[in-house]
Amino acid sequence: MNEIIVIVGGGIAGMEAASQLIKLGYSPIIIEKSDRLGGHVAKWNRLFPDMTPAKDVVDSLIASCKDANIFLNTEIYSVNRLKDRYNIMLSNGVSISARHILMTTGFKLFEASKKEEYGYGIYNQVVTNADLEHWFNGNADSRMDGSQMGAVGFVHCVGSRDEKARNSQCSKVCCITAIKQAIEMKEKFPDAEIYCFYMDLRLFGKKFEDFYTKAQRDHGIHFIRGRVSEVGENIEGKVIVKAEDTLLGKPIKVTLDLLVLMSGMVCNSENAKVASMLALPNDSDGFFMSTDNIMNINSSPKKGIHYAGACTGPKTVPETLAEARAAALEIHTSIKEQQ
Amino acid sequence: MNELHPTGFDYFVLPFTIGMIFVLLWCLGGAIRIIAELDSEDRKKFFKSLVNPKIMAKNIKEWFCDCLFHVKLWKRNKLLGYMHSSIAFGWFMIILIGHIEVALYIPERLHQPWYPIFFRYFVAVTDSTMKGSFFFFLMDFFLLVVLSGIVLAIIKRAHSRMFGMRRTTRASLTDLIGLYALWFIFPLRLLAEGFTADISGGSFLTQSLNNVLHSFLSDEANILPTWWAYSIALGVFMVILPFSRYMHIPSEILLIPMRNAGVKIRNPRKGISKLQVYSCPACGVCIDACPMSAVKANTRDTTVYLNRQIKRRNERRIAEISEKCLMCGKCTAVCPVGVEGDKLRIAQRSLTRYNLSPDYSTIDENVFIDRLGEKKRILYFAGCMTALTPSIKKALTSVMDKAGDEYTVMDEDGGICCGRPMLMAGRTESARAMIEKNTNIIRSSGATVLLLSCPICYKVFKENYDLEGIEIIHHTEYIDRLIAQGRISPSRSDLSYVYHDPCELGRGCGIYDAPRRVVAAAGTLVEAEKTGKENICCGGSLGSLTLGFDKRKVLTENALKNLTIADPDTIVTACPLCRSTFNRYADRPVLDIAEIVDQATEKK
Repeated sequence: MNEIIVIVGGGIAGMEAASQLIKLGYSPIIIEKSDRLGGHVAKWNRLFPDMTPAKDVVDSLIASCKDANIFLNTEIYSVNRLKDRYNIMLSNGVSISARHILMTTGFKLFEASKKEEYGYGIYNQVVTNADLEHWFNGNADSRMDGSQMGAVGFVHCVGSRDEKARNSQCSKVCCITAIKQAIEMKEKFPDAEIYCFYMDLRLFGKKFEDFYTKAQRDHGIHFIRGRVSEVGENIEGKVIVKAEDTLLGKPIKVTLDLLVLMSGMVCNSENAKVASMLALPNDSDGFFMSTDNIMNINSSPKKGIHYAGACTGPKTVPETLAEARAAALEIHTSIKEQQ
Repeated sequence: MNELHPTGFDYFVLPFTIGMIFVLLWCLGGAIRIIAELDSEDRKKFFKSLVNPKIMAKNIKEWFCDCLFHVKLWKRNKLLGYMHSSIAFGWFMIILIGHIEVALYIPERLHQPWYPIFFRYFVAVTDSTMKGSFFFFLMDFFLLVVLSGIVLAIIKRAHSRMFGMRRTTRASLTDLIGLYALWFIFPLRLLAEGFTADISGGSFLTQSLNNVLHSFLSDEANILPTWWAYSIALGVFMVILPFSRYMHIPSEILLIPMRNAGVKIRNPRKGISKLQVYSCPACGVCIDACPMSAVKANTRDTTVYLNRQIKRRNERRIAEISEKCLMCGKCTAVCPVGVEGDKLRIAQRSLTRYNLSPDYSTIDENVFIDRLGEKKRILYFAGCMTALTPSIKKALTSVMDKAGDEYTVMDEDGGICCGRPMLMAGRTESARAMIEKNTNIIRSSGATVLLLSCPICYKVFKENYDLEGIEIIHHTEYIDRLIAQGRISPSRSDLSYVYHDPCELGRGCGIYDAPRRVVAAAGTLVEAEKTGKENICCGGSLGSLTLGFDKRKVLTENALKNLTIADPDTIVTACPLCRSTFNRYADRPVLDIAEIVDQATEKK
């Protein structure tokens, strides 16, 4: 019988790792707590920088891991550590014995309502990046439906790089996501003025900078360097944003039809239970701690437990997929060494 | 009584006498210097107060209650109160009765300052003296009182928790010398008087000691050394006094009338500031009170150590301590002698000069003319912190709508700060510019009520603005009044609420009851472990200039622990800053008082 590998989390990292492990001749088991595969990416509409439909990515991953054992709506109930393996009890009553566990538990989106000054949940016309993607996917949202957008604002770094929100890490993908969404809004509402309020733009990835140039040159999107200080609402229900343009050194005030908050990636607090069962340590940012952040990002300090994807920190989709492949290879080589 | 010594003098009185003259001269010089350092207006005020019978009566009352009986310490902890008042009052009575005895029996010796102190050495009882056994008894009685206080003081060194104190001050070298001298004075006096009990009279204590240890005490060779030791202990204590914490004894005598005269801190080192610093008894009550003490390393930044560093002129540490403080005012509230730790620090901060002069001339002062409607009633100044917590603003305006009150939000379209943060940073001039601008805007609007939902703003509008004729009201008082007048009637929920007193509203403005009445109208009110005046700062205060965000987490968690002792469903406060700070770490909802009232009130 093939060696069993337990994969905790059925997002893109879990699926990609499963498909690689199948190719290497193992039997991966994916444990997913929700009722579907694909995690956050499945909720997204299109992906930067080539506007690839997220659905295509998720569908191809689902197809390539179809031979894996997949438990949906399932959580880990308990873990017993034996000499060189783990006995895992699942909430559906199944018990698994495996030498290797791959954690692909991902991240959580920062709860935008915690940054109360931006008015999410208080003012009607304030949404998050996730709300916007949900709407792009064709789901109804009264905040955007049928309204003519004269002006739309994007606030970068909501709950990331923010000590007061208890997250000092950069979420990595929000700058480029904001630019992507700004372009998409401009395409939907060609007459709208679009503003991006940023601290500084971190456009590190392939073609990101071109994307940014395009946003300014071809779409006329306004980039304003300065944090939003306060958000209010006028009698017509429009959003009033006060900020400082730190390049001009002047306070500015704009009235918007919609304000989009770029919620950052934060550590998944639901990981705490599994982490405590496996005694996995957290890094100072709350994400899982790897044995080494350069050479061994995939390995945990516990024997037989591996990481892939955003459970160790914010990552883009291609980075996550690359890590999933690396983790599969790491598991493969360590099994070969054990034989 | 008969005199045994024709001159009324022996060399052993010298240590005491030299010490006494030294300490008296020192204190006199200090007092003159402090009065000279006051600015002329304050000095006039001080001298005038000394002939004002009402203030004088207050002075006398406080001299007795604070200096001798330590009433404030009694209220804090009975054992602590007894320890201090037994030593202070007992000693005072021994000195007083000593003088009465001399005045009654040998009045011609009253001019010799050592005579009442060493009275027993110089006299012998006669047949007629038995009438004086009443005094013998009193002397022994008060000596016993003092000795019991000393015993407690020794116990306290090792077991401060028995006295309601978790942490105590680390004594400096001079403090220790003073302390041991003080501990020795009274047992030595007992021993010395034990020798002479059968010559110059004694009572239950000294006489009994004389009987019990007769073989040692009747040996004349031991007498003089013991009196020498007693005098030296007194002398050492008095010489070390100006350089130790015991300087608080004479200082407080001057501080009381100066405070009652209304003299305010102006300069961090001169005048009443210096007097306050020297009045600090280093009791350490402020160490447990300080919210920063949740982190042990911070205990070194409490007011008692500020006072010590000011005495030592350690400029680096003085600046560090002054800038770190959260300005919650709790050390001032609990200080038994009335050292104003927060104001000392603000005065210290005011020494830093900034080359910034903001210009507010572009702001239109007449924006609200003709905008307040017919009734010209409420002008609501939300302030920066409420702007960052829009749900509070929304809830309060909703409550006003439900009550049918007309209002205008003063800073909806931009506005400037109330000035309080600048005042706390010691930047009086910058604050003054803001205060002037806001005053003109408010005055020109014709409003009759200025409503605040932030206690930080409320305190400065109340204390530093001249808005006579305009009622300045915090939203807790405003809502309390709406409920009392029946203009809103919130329905009581089953939830239990704990109310957190914001520093600026509670200790800062003395408002404790109105918010509690409001909370009780919306649900069940439970109390925190330390509450009211003793409540702990949330840790988010903008009073601190240097305390980093990461350093405040422990303080907030400590304050939350105190608040949730009765396991309430919701934490309620009346300050937008406290609310945001707690929200970051609380395990249950944290709401503003306006929010719970708004939720509980139906639209009419």
